[in-house]
Amino acid sequence: MTIVVGYVPTPEGEAALTQAIAEAKKSNDTLLVINSSKGDALVDNRYAQEPDIQSIEERLADQGIQHIIKQPVRGHDAAAEVLDAADDNDAALIVIGLRRRSPVGKLIMGSVSQRILLEADCPVLAVKAE
Amino acid sequence: MDVWSSLMDGFATALTPMNLLFAVIGVLLGTAVGVLPGLGPAMTVALLLPVTAALEPTSAFIMFAGIYYGGMFGGSTTSILLNTPGESSSVVTAIEGNKMAKAGRAAQALATAAIGSFIAGTIGTALLAVFAPLVVQFAVSLGAPSYFAIMILALLAVTAVLGSSRLRGFASLALGLAIGLVGIDSVTGQRRLTFGQPLLVDGLDIVVVAVAIFAVGEALWVAAHLRRTPLHVIPVGRPWMGKKDWARSWKPWLRGTAFGFPFGALPAGGAEIPTFLSYVTEKRLTKHPEEFGKGAIEGVAGPEAANNAAAAGTLTPMLALGLPTNATAAVMLAAFTSYGIQPGPQLFSSQGPLVWALIASLFIGNFLLLLINLPLAPVWAKLLQLPRPYLYAGILFFATLGAYSVNLQAFDLVILLVLGALGFMMRRFGLPVLPLILGVILGPRIEGQLRKTLQLSAGDPAGLFSEPVAIVVYIIVAIILVWPLIFKLIRPNRPAKTPLLPANSGAADYSD
Amino acid sequence: MSSIATGLKGRAELGVALLLGAVGVLVFLDANGLVTPYSQSDPVGPKTVPFIVSGLLIICAILLAINVLRGGKGEVEGGEDVDLAHPADWKTVLPLAGAFILNILLIDWAGWVISGTVLFWGSVLALGSRHYIRDGLISVALALLTFYGFYLGLGIALPAGLLEGIL
Repeated sequence: MTIVVGYVPTPEGEAALTQAIAEAKKSNDTLLVINSSKGDALVDNRYAQEPDIQSIEERLADQGIQHIIKQPVRGHDAAAEVLDAADDNDAALIVIGLRRRSPVGKLIMGSVSQRILLEADCPVLAVKAE
Repeated sequence: MDVWSSLMDGFATALTPMNLLFAVIGVLLGTAVGVLPGLGPAMTVALLLPVTAALEPTSAFIMFAGIYYGGMFGGSTTSILLNTPGESSSVVTAIEGNKMAKAGRAAQALATAAIGSFIAGTIGTALLAVFAPLVVQFAVSLGAPSYFAIMILALLAVTAVLGSSRLRGFASLALGLAIGLVGIDSVTGQRRLTFGQPLLVDGLDIVVVAVAIFAVGEALWVAAHLRRTPLHVIPVGRPWMGKKDWARSWKPWLRGTAFGFPFGALPAGGAEIPTFLSYVTEKRLTKHPEEFGKGAIEGVAGPEAANNAAAAGTLTPMLALGLPTNATAAVMLAAFTSYGIQPGPQLFSSQGPLVWALIASLFIGNFLLLLINLPLAPVWAKLLQLPRPYLYAGILFFATLGAYSVNLQAFDLVILLVLGALGFMMRRFGLPVLPLILGVILGPRIEGQLRKTLQLSAGDPAGLFSEPVAIVVYIIVAIILVWPLIFKLIRPNRPAKTPLLPANSGAADYSD
Repeated sequence: MSSIATGLKGRAELGVALLLGAVGVLVFLDANGLVTPYSQSDPVGPKTVPFIVSGLLIICAILLAINVLRGGKGEVEGGEDVDLAHPADWKTVLPLAGAFILNILLIDWAGWVISGTVLFWGSVLALGSRHYIRDGLISVALALLTFYGFYLGLGIALPAGLLEGIL
């Protein structure tokens, strides 16, 4: 089985990753780390850069967790990428980090986590940053 | 002609609320396009040419000047925070600036760049105000043979000195000259290269050519090669500098200015060589050689100052002689022509108030830029998250609109597309675009001077050498033409430094 | 870069030499066709400069061809938003050019508001945006705004075309 974690280089993303690692250890599942970008702007600070990915790679390898790290840039939003990955791999669990957002912000931008919560076919574990 | 009183009159014009508003719009637009990928000052001024046709020329040029200087400020912000200098003149800034940012000193790097740019820009503009009238005084005594020689020098210098391949530079120049030939010959009324097309009789509108080459060609080119992996902007707060940073910055600022202005003023100087020289000098003089390559503040302060001083320098031959030496100056010169203003040494006498208002607005613009860049740099960096589809679709949209609105002819849009495709091809095969634009703008003027010269000498080619200045200029031309041989002799001594110089530097000036 | 790619690249650049040569010949033929009697007041005449330009073009064409055949290569232009690691993405450029051409065909008949909307919407789509409705609204707004902006602000009447009388 697979655990899918939506990763972004922010405190929420880190929290999600930490939680996902704990879950993967418990169940001995493969961890699929998804860090995506729509790729429609020159700059996307939610897209992890090389050194960041490398350190995650090392961290996962150190803990002996079977893992795959994917960074899709296909013009889809983050929710679609995480849901796609969960579908394709028959995920047992999705782990995401929650970000604090004002009601207005939610109204305008929508919410990635909300879409994942509503549309996922498997359990979703949502964590907050410490 | 008293420089001081003329300048004060200029300030009086530039400080009227309306003109001040255009200066603010100019610096805001300039900074924005400097930060935005794929847009540069030359492209922006080209896109604005049709829109500004309805404005008072003075207001339009005040805005253009703001865009020109603003582009420099904005460009340094991205090269420090992103390490992807789009503009060849900020390549050197990125070397140390990005290292500083990565080491958590982004605020100081931005501060020294902005303050250095302000100081260099102000000194440069002051030098412009002093030197341009002197150049004019000298230039009005020259006759057609000297002008012909000087224009040939400008064309050859830009073509041969800038860019990585002289051959491709000349190819681009020749294409530009050919485009410049289209239309009725002003002396005999003969139609040249019109192929029986009545719409071509008036020649190709310089606005359409500039928009096609700078905007359409660039947008198509970038669209074909969009960067696929998103980058990170290094997060930064409000730029500031400590005492130590000031102490380490002020000398490089002044030295950078000293490098920048003269090179900018030379026909083929550009900003690449002085920024590079400034970097090398600072590296040699620094008390902290261990920091170079890891983020030395001198390596940001010097080149940034040189860059902005060169921008001011570039305006000297542009205003005093009507000779553009970089892409933005070329488009601004095209703007003069489209207002029916004859560029050249007569400009100061015939359009004195405009020119002095323009120079005064450079001082004002510089100050405004410092105000909006120092506290707001983090806000500007946010612009980089603008979705590209809107950015490039917007460029095409406004390019079309602008080119169409000149004559309200769909035919102009066909030309826009054809020349846009040419611009795409030139970028693909490494033909610099600056010589082409200069060829289009200067070609007809050169032909005019040539015919005037030989008319005076009744067809005797010796007439070309009838003025001492002309002979001196031809000697310089000869030196430029044999320069590669000399360069080959010098090169083995400094092989390590050449890769630092940007490739294709002549063409890259406009692309932000 | 693989050797096949560089080989193709080299051959493609010969097209540039060909273009230069063709333009050179064209300029020459055009100038040659001009008939002007020699005049004392204009000894240079309208032909001289075209001849020089055509000579320069043809010389550049020949030298470029030789340079390319010897393995010379133009330096592809980079930029902030340019990634030269990939080959040209024609799937973006061709639809973009298509939207541009559509605008040329439509502008005089359908008017700027319609053709401009098509241009912006088509370009945004070609560049990979997938918010069809939002983009459509932005396109219409931009086209309308520029139409009225040019009319009221600059006194330039862009064609109203099909919407004549409505706008």
